[in-house]
Amino acid sequence: MAEQKDQNLVQRNIPGMMNRGQRFAEVQHAENAGATLKRIAVYFAKEKIMVFGMLAVVIFGTLCGVYAPSLQSNAIDIIAKSRTGNLMVSLILMAAVYLLYSGGQLLQGLICAKLSQRIVKRMREELFGKLIDLPIRYLDTHSHGDVMSRMTNDIENISTTVSQSLPSLFSGILTIIGTVSIMLWYCWQLALLSFATVILTVTATKLLSKKVRKFSRKRQMLLGQLNGTVEEMVSGYHTVVAYNHQDVTTEEFCSTSDSLTKAGIKTDIFSGVMGPIMNCIGNIGFVIIAAFGGYFSISGLISVGVISAFIVYAKQFSRPINEIAQVYGQLQTAVAGAERVFTVLDETDEDKSGKELAKADTATVTFRNVNFSYSAGHPVLQDFTLSVPSGKKVALVGATGSGKTTVVNLLMRFYDIDSGEILINQQNIKNISRNDLRKNIAIVLQDTVLFSDTIQNNLKYGNINASFDEIEKAVKMSRCKEMIELLPQGYDTVLTGSGENISSGQRQLLAIARAFVADPKILILDEATSNVDTRTEKAIQDAMQLIMQNRTSIVIAHRLSTIRDADVIVVMDHGKIVESGDHDTLLAQKGKYYDLYMTQYAGIAT
Amino acid sequence: MWKYIRRYLPFAILAALFMIGEVMMDLIQPSLMSKIVDDGVLGLNSGGGDLNLIWKLGFRMILLVLFGGFCGSMNNVFVHMSGQNIGNEIRKDCFRNIMTFSFPQLDQFGAGSLVTRVTNDITQVQNFVSQFVRGMIRTVLLTFGSMYFIFRLNQIFGWIVLCAFPFVVGCLVFCLYKANPLFSRLQSQLDSINAIMQEDVSCIRIIKACVREVYEKLRFGKANNALIKTQLKILVIFSFMNPVINALMYLVVAVILLVGSFEVGGGATTPGSIMAAITYITQLLNGILMLVMLFQNISRGYASWKRVKEVLHSQPELKDGTFDGNTECQGEIEFRNVSFSYPGAGQTILKNINLHIHKGETIAIMGTTGCGKTSLINLIPRFYDVTSGTVLIDGIDVKEYKQKALREKIAVVLQKSELFSATIQENISWGKLNASHNDIKSAAAVAQADVFISSTAEGYNTLVAERGMSLSGGQKQRISIARAALKSAEILIFDDSTSALDLKTEANLYEALQKTHSERTKIIVAQRIASVRRADRIVVLDNGRIAAIGTHEELQKTCPIYKDICHSQIGEEE
Repeated sequence: MAEQKDQNLVQRNIPGMMNRGQRFAEVQHAENAGATLKRIAVYFAKEKIMVFGMLAVVIFGTLCGVYAPSLQSNAIDIIAKSRTGNLMVSLILMAAVYLLYSGGQLLQGLICAKLSQRIVKRMREELFGKLIDLPIRYLDTHSHGDVMSRMTNDIENISTTVSQSLPSLFSGILTIIGTVSIMLWYCWQLALLSFATVILTVTATKLLSKKVRKFSRKRQMLLGQLNGTVEEMVSGYHTVVAYNHQDVTTEEFCSTSDSLTKAGIKTDIFSGVMGPIMNCIGNIGFVIIAAFGGYFSISGLISVGVISAFIVYAKQFSRPINEIAQVYGQLQTAVAGAERVFTVLDETDEDKSGKELAKADTATVTFRNVNFSYSAGHPVLQDFTLSVPSGKKVALVGATGSGKTTVVNLLMRFYDIDSGEILINQQNIKNISRNDLRKNIAIVLQDTVLFSDTIQNNLKYGNINASFDEIEKAVKMSRCKEMIELLPQGYDTVLTGSGENISSGQRQLLAIARAFVADPKILILDEATSNVDTRTEKAIQDAMQLIMQNRTSIVIAHRLSTIRDADVIVVMDHGKIVESGDHDTLLAQKGKYYDLYMTQYAGIAT
Repeated sequence: MWKYIRRYLPFAILAALFMIGEVMMDLIQPSLMSKIVDDGVLGLNSGGGDLNLIWKLGFRMILLVLFGGFCGSMNNVFVHMSGQNIGNEIRKDCFRNIMTFSFPQLDQFGAGSLVTRVTNDITQVQNFVSQFVRGMIRTVLLTFGSMYFIFRLNQIFGWIVLCAFPFVVGCLVFCLYKANPLFSRLQSQLDSINAIMQEDVSCIRIIKACVREVYEKLRFGKANNALIKTQLKILVIFSFMNPVINALMYLVVAVILLVGSFEVGGGATTPGSIMAAITYITQLLNGILMLVMLFQNISRGYASWKRVKEVLHSQPELKDGTFDGNTECQGEIEFRNVSFSYPGAGQTILKNINLHIHKGETIAIMGTTGCGKTSLINLIPRFYDVTSGTVLIDGIDVKEYKQKALREKIAVVLQKSELFSATIQENISWGKLNASHNDIKSAAAVAQADVFISSTAEGYNTLVAERGMSLSGGQKQRISIARAALKSAEILIFDDSTSALDLKTEANLYEALQKTHSERTKIIVAQRIASVRRADRIVVLDNGRIAAIGTHEELQKTCPIYKDICHSQIGEEE
């Protein structure tokens, strides 16, 4: 008989293009499977009609599947003349039932496809929406790779489970029950003998999976090591060559590769032997039915047709039994994935409530005794007090980690302060809705981010209603008119991969232009330190001067020119303000700023 | 491919032979069963049931089954021995070949793509080989074997099945034909949805600052809808495949039963044969379905094999010279009319460079980003070949050197500090294999790294995790410098490799180098005036040409570009 596991391979594999029939794939476990299952059920509950439709189809299909072979057995008995009846009628009936069975399968497939895609669509949208709505803290503290993998792998897993594993588990169990009962009904002696193969299957699977797990762990480890070596040596190839390390590296790689092969052969032999063993067990079942069936048939217990029905039934029930362990594993993995998705969905959204910022022509920003820490016990800002009068420029300087960027995070309410208050025109920003607050502030960040969209849409990002005139004006002010005009499609040029098709200097200019279009009263600039060519550098400096005019500006400064032009320079150290004043005053003081200036900007070692 | 298969051909042949054994056993079973039914149960020949015959045949079947199982298991062993070993050979050859690549070749493939080729693609190829040896042989034998046995049972049965064949194949081909273009669309839609996510996750601050959350959700929703639509289409197509084929098979079974009844009446066949025929039909169908699976995997494996082949068949680009590097003078570099552009790129990076660097000299190279500094120094260890002109080291063209000998003479600290997952000690000792701990420690001291290394709990045995993620930029740079300082090379090149050090540490570093490595030729590429001002000579590069050469003081007076740079960095006061 054909290998049992080959059945239905097409249906299970091609659509998802994954789960390539790995009998011993690593199974992940959910921490609280019960609660997670309940929540998954909620998704299904919203698709009641489809779920019930599917259940009905599965039950109907299984009934047909169980009934059809008995019709086939009738037909054979009629042919063998051990039963009387109209062959034509019973054949037409058989064909009809088989057709209904296929129809049921088809319907089941269609409903599952639709159902799974609807659920996946909803889940993906919810998860994405959640990620966007979560406080920045979440993305700052979770690895982006991890977040992405929830979005892709976990949801994909849930999808395949919903569309394939779940129905096959359900119909499998139904089929087992149906088949087993009809077999028992036909001839309980022969039925019990056929069930002996189940014991063989279960024992073989248990024994082998233990072995496989052991070896596959080792293989996984070696594979990781090998991939690591390749990754490292290829991306560090310049160094490998510069230090003539090619031979050493190759030797290392080859020895890892050899041990991987050894472990791989062992794992594959043990996991691959499952196929032939299952095949063999299936054949044993076949022989049992043929031989004992023959014996019972001579004894007059059963007819010849029953033997033929048993052959079909034996296959029908051993298939789901072979599959159940595998499907169960997939289910568990999917539930674990769903649990991870739900943990994200359970995070609280950023609170968007609050009043509007009172309309005013001026904007004074005040930090009063602000304390803040990202994690308890590690204060980042301590008793931070700073007032930026309307229309003035403040430059924040200090070493990395002195808390400059934190000031930005707090003013934008990306994070909320621990104590103290931040005021805009004497209005505490805690009471202003985040959306309204942010509409009044524009930021230009150091890692200048642009979206894969047209230049025009990127420029409009901070102010969707900007007219083309406004955009053109902003572009002129930020010195990137010429550059945009040089591009083949001008404003309609689509930036690729976060703007990688233009230089980093041009990106900075566009980011400044974007802030111009937003036209806020308050401006936050985190100057980029990346090196740009002299011409662009000049353009950037000019654009920065222009945009800061008449705006309340807070600049995390790296350029000497920016610092010197600031109304106030604030020197920060370990979350505290250690000095403040204008350039000349501070230089004359010969304090921290003087040191900093001399080492970082003046280019002379102290 | 053949080259690799050949070495493990005995395994593959054994695998095939055992597979034939297994399939043969599978194929004989139904015939024996038909005998049990016809002769044993119905007693068509002897006129009564024959219990003895049933047991005898049953016993024979069990023996055959066990033999089949044995064959299957042995086939499995040899399949994986050949598949894994072939994969291993390919993998090793690939890696060996990559290690002979020139940098332009590496750039052409891209590091990421090479990594995928050596890892994923080779695994695909390996699976493909295993599947081919096991699956392909099995299915083909099973399909044709079943067909043959059906014909042997009864000619008419055979023809009936054969008639159904085109429908089954047609149905499969139709599904695949419909689905294939959707697969590539699915992939591109998946890519675009991932791109949006990647972008939004890293741009979340801008999104929030501009209050564009809703817009992004809509953008994602649109991409998601497109993806779901395609996915659903594919699922629908494949939902049809199995039921339709199954239905066809059941129809064939019904027809055979009908025709069989006439044949039995005419004495041309027996009920047992009908039952056997039905079993063969099931096998045949399974064979066909498996073939489809295999074709899918084969096309995937073939695509991977093509990618792997590109790596395997890349010839080393740089022709190795013969000179072993024994020169009298040590540490002299000369650029003679050198022009350079990256292979495949039209833009000329370096134009007509003439520069003579003397032994023991400290020379600095300055200029804005993109002016060709790194390209210039990359020509010295022959990371790239000049487009025209010559680069001479100690009076000999670099192309005449054996590459190894040439690179022994040069220690480069690259712009990007590349460290490896090993201890700090091991990383530094790349500079000199078998270096003693003291050597390493003193090299680290020169690089101003000893203090921070010694202050960690594990000291020099600290593991550099994840390519140096655990270290700060400055620490990584200093370890890289230590690695270069340890190497006993006549030429030391620092490609903008002190940018993350504060000026004081940098000054200490150069001072220490001057003491311990005074006789070496040093080339310093830098952005900061402070890093270069103490050099013997400063070369100012502008747009691929040498704009000026001189000391800091000279250049300040004569070179406008240098003056500009000074101006922007130091300010008007100076």
